[in-house]
Amino acid sequence: MTTKFKAWLKTIIFYEILVGMKATLSHLLHYKPITLQYPHEKRTLPDSYRGMLALLRYDDGTEKCVGCDLCEAACPSRVIKVFSAEVPGEPTKRFAKEYYMDMTRCLFCGMCVDACPVDALGMTREFEWAVYDKRQLRLNKEQLLAIGDRSYPVREKRLEFQHPNVAFFNVAFKNLPEKES
Amino acid sequence: MTEVGIKLAFSLTQIAVILGIVLLTVMILTLAERKVLGWMQDRMGPMEVGPYGVLQPIADGLKLFFKEDIVPAGANKFLFSLAPILALVPALIGFAVIPFGPNKTIELFGYQFQPFVISDINIGILYILAFTSIGAYGIILGGWASNSKYSLLGGLRSAAQVISYELNVGLAIVGVLLLAGSLSLVKITEAQAGGFWHWYVFAFPFPQIFAFVVYVISSVAETNRLPFDLPEAESELVAGFFTEYSGMRFAFFFLAEYANMILVSCIAAALFLGGWNAPYPGTLLPENLAWVEGVMWFTVKVYFFLFLFFWLRATLPRLRYDQLMRFGWKVMLPIALGNILVTAIAAYLFPRG
Repeated sequence: MTTKFKAWLKTIIFYEILVGMKATLSHLLHYKPITLQYPHEKRTLPDSYRGMLALLRYDDGTEKCVGCDLCEAACPSRVIKVFSAEVPGEPTKRFAKEYYMDMTRCLFCGMCVDACPVDALGMTREFEWAVYDKRQLRLNKEQLLAIGDRSYPVREKRLEFQHPNVAFFNVAFKNLPEKES
Repeated sequence: MTEVGIKLAFSLTQIAVILGIVLLTVMILTLAERKVLGWMQDRMGPMEVGPYGVLQPIADGLKLFFKEDIVPAGANKFLFSLAPILALVPALIGFAVIPFGPNKTIELFGYQFQPFVISDINIGILYILAFTSIGAYGIILGGWASNSKYSLLGGLRSAAQVISYELNVGLAIVGVLLLAGSLSLVKITEAQAGGFWHWYVFAFPFPQIFAFVVYVISSVAETNRLPFDLPEAESELVAGFFTEYSGMRFAFFFLAEYANMILVSCIAAALFLGGWNAPYPGTLLPENLAWVEGVMWFTVKVYFFLFLFFWLRATLPRLRYDQLMRFGWKVMLPIALGNILVTAIAAYLFPRG
């Protein structure tokens, strides 16, 4: 009976609405915005942020990419198109003669970065890639290298100049079988 | 001839000043609403135009002014143009009988004038109710003339809602009218002078607290504000009755909504919270400056109600249509009728004066 009476009393004095209004008023009085004024202030992104894709270089300026097409095979949205060729004068080495990314389709899953055996691909923290013409999002090798240059200023040495142990971890680090423990 | 001329000039000045104040208040309200809503939801609200976004209403006004005026194909052009005017004019015309300050007369060129009310007619509150009902026509006609299903649905919902809740507004204020014995807003406000225990919310024979609650809820519904904004439900009807409107016509509807909010707040302040009367007897300021205090108290009361509108909007979700109708007819209407009955008995047992 008393609980019923209490429920009835709560109904007629709009108890639940008053609780809600108290909540909104407390937010007004303890005003602490959680939003940022975006173009003026930007949130610090984590290092593992999966933003714009980029092609990387070694510290002497040569491209890391060896034109193996594994990124193209790994890409679920068929963003990447690689045209592979021999390095002129060096028949044992290959490189990507042309390299295209259609970023309108990219879903930023990072599978191409995982697939790359020489860590030639990287994901940057750039995300402000809104353009007026979507053809501007079809990037060629030079544009992707430029993104890599401005996002990864610290470059690795060429593999043959690295210490063998470090080079071992650098190359195909992600593709190693897991250690038995 | 000169008498008519002077009185006309004085009235026109009053009308211009009050229109200016109302439109300025609308400008402040558009900013205040977004700011208060933002603060209540842990956001900042507009921050870009001017320091802390204070010039946002000017930017909005300029934008609306320069927007293209689109008339949809198949729209009834005459009614489409008429509807925004029909919505705006009744909302603004109601301010003619609102007393903004103490009821005193000043003498100018040998004639008596009331500076704080444009015209103290003896059916003031009836006049406001009549004109706000015309405002519903603007909404309904605007919804119908747009030749759009969303607009039509919004207009129909508005028609049903305004009819249901206009009734409750009318019945809620009857109690106050019984106690005051007058329809003139000036006389009703004057009867509440001398401390907050004389205000009709708390007044002696029968406190009008139920009528006050009914009035506030019904007036929120009547101005189509959340949680009763079914006629312009964004998530269901795009924008309801003004889906097809753009530019200045849209601005007219917008102005009408906010002017209605101010009008409803003014009536609530004048009828239930004692209008310009301070919550303590008399005035603190000397006799010749008492009007400053009166106007200030009126403004404070009106802005309290306007804040309540924002507060409710930030808190409550939209009602369902059947809930709205059930609440209006099965809850609000019996309370209002019961209030009239009890108030009438109380007023009979304790005649005033």
